[in-house]
Amino acid sequence: MYLHWLAISYSLCLPYLILGSFAAHTEQFDEDLVLRSLRDGKVLSRFSFTTRLNGTTPRNPQSLGSEDSSQHYTLFPLALGQVLREYAVSELHLSLNAGKWNYERWGYPEESGVGTGAELWAWMGAGDPTTVDERWQGLRNALAGLFCASLGSLDEQRTTSPSLAFAPEGSLPNWTLPHLLRHASLPSEHVCTENLTPFLKLLPCKALSGIASLLNPHRLFDADWHGMSVHVLWHEDMGVEVRLAFQAVFDPIRMSLEQKRDWSLQSIFDRSIRRSCPVAASSQIRVELPRDQAYSLGPDPTEIDGEYAIFNTKNVTEELNVSLRWPFEAIFEYPLEPPTVPLTHFSVRRILTGSSQSRGQLSITIQNNLPAQIQTIYLETMPWLLEFYLHTLRVHCDGRSRDDLMSLITYTLPVPHSRPTLFEAALTLPPKATIQITMDVTKSFLRYTEHPPDAQRGWDLPPAVFVPINIPTSLNQTTSLSQDKRSGRPLELRRIYTPTLLVDLATPDFSMPYNVIIMSCTLIALTFGSIFNLLTRRFVLVRVTDSEEKQDKVD
Amino acid sequence: MPSSSPSSGASSAPPIVSALPFESAAVRRSILAAYWLVIIFALPLWWSSTSIERLSLPNSRVWSETTRTLQFPLHVVVNEGGGASGRHDLDRQLTERRRHDPEAWQGLQLHVNTGETHIPPGGPVAYEVDIGPRHGSSILDSRRLSCEESEVADILNSLLAPYGKGADRGDYRVAKYSPRYRLTFTLLNEDSAAGAAATGWGIEDALDRHITPVLSRLSDLHNFTVESQVQFHAPLAFKPVPVVIDGKEEYGLTQEDLTVFVNSAEWTLSSSVSNDPVLHFVLFVPSAARRPLHILNSEGWGQHGLRNLSDNLFLEGLPSTSDAFILPQWGGIVIYNPPSHIQDHAHLSPSHLERSFNVFLRQLLALLGVPPLPPGVSSSEISLTTWQLDALLRRRSVENVAGCQETLQSIVKLVDQIPNMPVGQDVRGDILQALSELEQTYDAAKTSPQLALVHSSRASTLASRAFFNPGMLALLYFPPEHRYAVYTPLFASATVPLIAAVIREVLAWRRQRKGKEGLENDPGLPGKKKTE
Repeated sequence: MYLHWLAISYSLCLPYLILGSFAAHTEQFDEDLVLRSLRDGKVLSRFSFTTRLNGTTPRNPQSLGSEDSSQHYTLFPLALGQVLREYAVSELHLSLNAGKWNYERWGYPEESGVGTGAELWAWMGAGDPTTVDERWQGLRNALAGLFCASLGSLDEQRTTSPSLAFAPEGSLPNWTLPHLLRHASLPSEHVCTENLTPFLKLLPCKALSGIASLLNPHRLFDADWHGMSVHVLWHEDMGVEVRLAFQAVFDPIRMSLEQKRDWSLQSIFDRSIRRSCPVAASSQIRVELPRDQAYSLGPDPTEIDGEYAIFNTKNVTEELNVSLRWPFEAIFEYPLEPPTVPLTHFSVRRILTGSSQSRGQLSITIQNNLPAQIQTIYLETMPWLLEFYLHTLRVHCDGRSRDDLMSLITYTLPVPHSRPTLFEAALTLPPKATIQITMDVTKSFLRYTEHPPDAQRGWDLPPAVFVPINIPTSLNQTTSLSQDKRSGRPLELRRIYTPTLLVDLATPDFSMPYNVIIMSCTLIALTFGSIFNLLTRRFVLVRVTDSEEKQDKVD
Repeated sequence: MPSSSPSSGASSAPPIVSALPFESAAVRRSILAAYWLVIIFALPLWWSSTSIERLSLPNSRVWSETTRTLQFPLHVVVNEGGGASGRHDLDRQLTERRRHDPEAWQGLQLHVNTGETHIPPGGPVAYEVDIGPRHGSSILDSRRLSCEESEVADILNSLLAPYGKGADRGDYRVAKYSPRYRLTFTLLNEDSAAGAAATGWGIEDALDRHITPVLSRLSDLHNFTVESQVQFHAPLAFKPVPVVIDGKEEYGLTQEDLTVFVNSAEWTLSSSVSNDPVLHFVLFVPSAARRPLHILNSEGWGQHGLRNLSDNLFLEGLPSTSDAFILPQWGGIVIYNPPSHIQDHAHLSPSHLERSFNVFLRQLLALLGVPPLPPGVSSSEISLTTWQLDALLRRRSVENVAGCQETLQSIVKLVDQIPNMPVGQDVRGDILQALSELEQTYDAAKTSPQLALVHSSRASTLASRAFFNPGMLALLYFPPEHRYAVYTPLFASATVPLIAAVIREVLAWRRQRKGKEGLENDPGLPGKKKTE
């Protein structure tokens, strides 16, 4: 009788169970992998893991004083959610990159934040109980702990607020007090496995199923370029969105024995997809199809959408190993000449000249590749080690002085030992022109204790950032720059990062303090001794006898 | 030398030393004295600029405050028709139990009174006991107990002093007191890709039903931050052993496995945002390939041994009656084997979670040190009784006071031991404040356990803040050798001529005095000789 009742009660709750799985799901997880063969035979891969918390808003900083509501998450990473709620962050972008992104050969990246090292920027609402700067400090320390990165050193000496170049990518809640931006970058940060492990732990399926199972640290950190990023946005109509992305550029030619650019998931990641992530709402691999030559793609994609072959990995029943081959190409020939068709709208080169340890010149060359005028924002953030002489700022266009091309200059002077330099300006690039900007700089003289342990190496300077603000859309079709429709994001958000610079500052001999002590002690002792001696010396009159006097006179 | 000619006397006379206007012994001596004066006056300045700030600590007060014990007076008022005889009887029985288990009764001053004794409101805590014949179990009301005469001493003993040796086996299980705890509930799927995983749970409902009422009851002691997450891949660091239980193939966890059950390398459980201690509650759903999973009894191994089943060696185990275990001071784990008909991507409903959350509640109470009710006692209050809360308040106050006393004594000892350790105003202030909070704790214990807890918690926080003050480490790594290395090249070279000059002057003065005496005694002798 009892057993019978048990069976009935089970059968009663069965429909509830099934229904329950569809009800109350306000969280959604999507994963996506883009693979693209680049012009120089390399392969770009971009993993994107998006978790959306529908119907939520960021925490209002004015509520920080009171008790927060409980956080109950299913797919959203709790460790990150705690940080966001604790410091009332509305929008957050963190990227940790290694290597130099080569815009000329690789074109625009899928993730635009490719500056070398660590970069963190956040929009936070002003509020009463704690200031934005206090929360910014807490945020970077919490993220430093979460990602095992030295983000704690992104302190006041590196924090700036360049509002033009880093506009919010989502929407900002409309609170009574305004939102403020904090931005800092640390070009000397090295990215490695200890950063990837906590990154993977934030994913619902970790690196154990779905697309994320391809994230093999041995191969990722062997790549020519690699970087991970975390983006937290708020969309007014949807809710808070966390996007974790990993981007890497692999070199299949280096790995292959036959010098071919053929690749497969197995060859570049040393893994293949065996099982799908059970909680992903959508999961796909998109492979960009080559346009120039005959290729063979295997296995058959789920669908072909324009220039992309899409593999649906929502339900993987057998091992999936996507591969792309060029069967008629015996050996890949590396393009030695510079590319004839530019991949970016404009290209930038930045160098620091001057051999002295106190003076130098910053020189930026920008080449507009389009037959149309481009408006950009030019941003330099420098630690106080480098000070710009704004009166020496010169803009030359094709050899002629054109000071009218630069406008809307914002310049924040550095304060030695506390505040960095911020230089932000709007720049007009005439069609097909080359602009050269030069500016004299002075290099600071550091205190003895401010030098890093490897003082002779020099100091890494953060990259300059260029943000195109209006590119004529009609030109996109005529050139090969159809990137904007690839990622579905507006071109305005495409930032171009220059490579970092290394500045050589006056470096002391580090035994100096002891030499100084000894030297000054010797001097003091000498001076003291002679003065003291002079003061206390006993002067005695010696009476000279007459005979001696006479002798003296004779002498 | 024309200047010397007017001063020169007879050829036999000694050279006249004071011929030059500045060349006199007085001038030279005053120059020397001026040097020494500067040095002597500069010495205190040098001393104060190089010495470390080391304020004196109130050592004797620390020792006197930290050797006191916290005393809670307890008044038990007996309402009984019998009168004084029952009271004496109860008093005698409780005294005997007290002698039997002094540890449990430490810090409790028991007074047994009859109903006529009037206890003023706002005074010490008083409990009423109605003794009389009863049918059924004993009843607890708010600070009121009704029970039979034969049981009263036992029940009172385990209600008032539940933390004895026998009653609560695990002092070590209880998490250290903190004004705020973070409770993290995690639904862990060992491997959701293997199918039949639980991808969601009715956590908020389950919390409202089981946990929240108790948390609000405990609000006098702690504040709680509650949060939850779901994880879909949480591999174990070991493989559970396949066992045969009642002829069916199942999987078992041995007692050794439980000690390494939490795989902190792979599970994301830790919280990085605050310093509040975290108590974890994990609902572990084993992989579909390893179900059902049970905890094996410690005896299960020896009795049954190995048995050969279809060419594989299987261990025949004896499942434990429980599927849950506590990790001391860390949290609790419940192993949940979903019913076999469960679908893929199941959402666990509150009815599924009922049993597990009851276990979580018991684990939470055990981790917070809430004493269990003695058997055969029922209460009209929901969740926790006032008796339990009072006992817990007393216990936590005692714990805090002991911790604070120990910390204060350690600071005093440490400062005495290390002469180079700086003691700043903030450390001293923290210690003084901790001492005054301690005093207030002793006073508050006479009237209100709640107040005693508040003060003891503050005292403990202040004491540990003083102990961990970073300023106390400032000069610990600046050895005296370093100082000498800097000072010697400067001071040695300057002081040697100074001292030499003093010695010379003293010698000259003595010789001069001797010469004068000699002249006075024997005027025929020639005067002082030339000294240079």
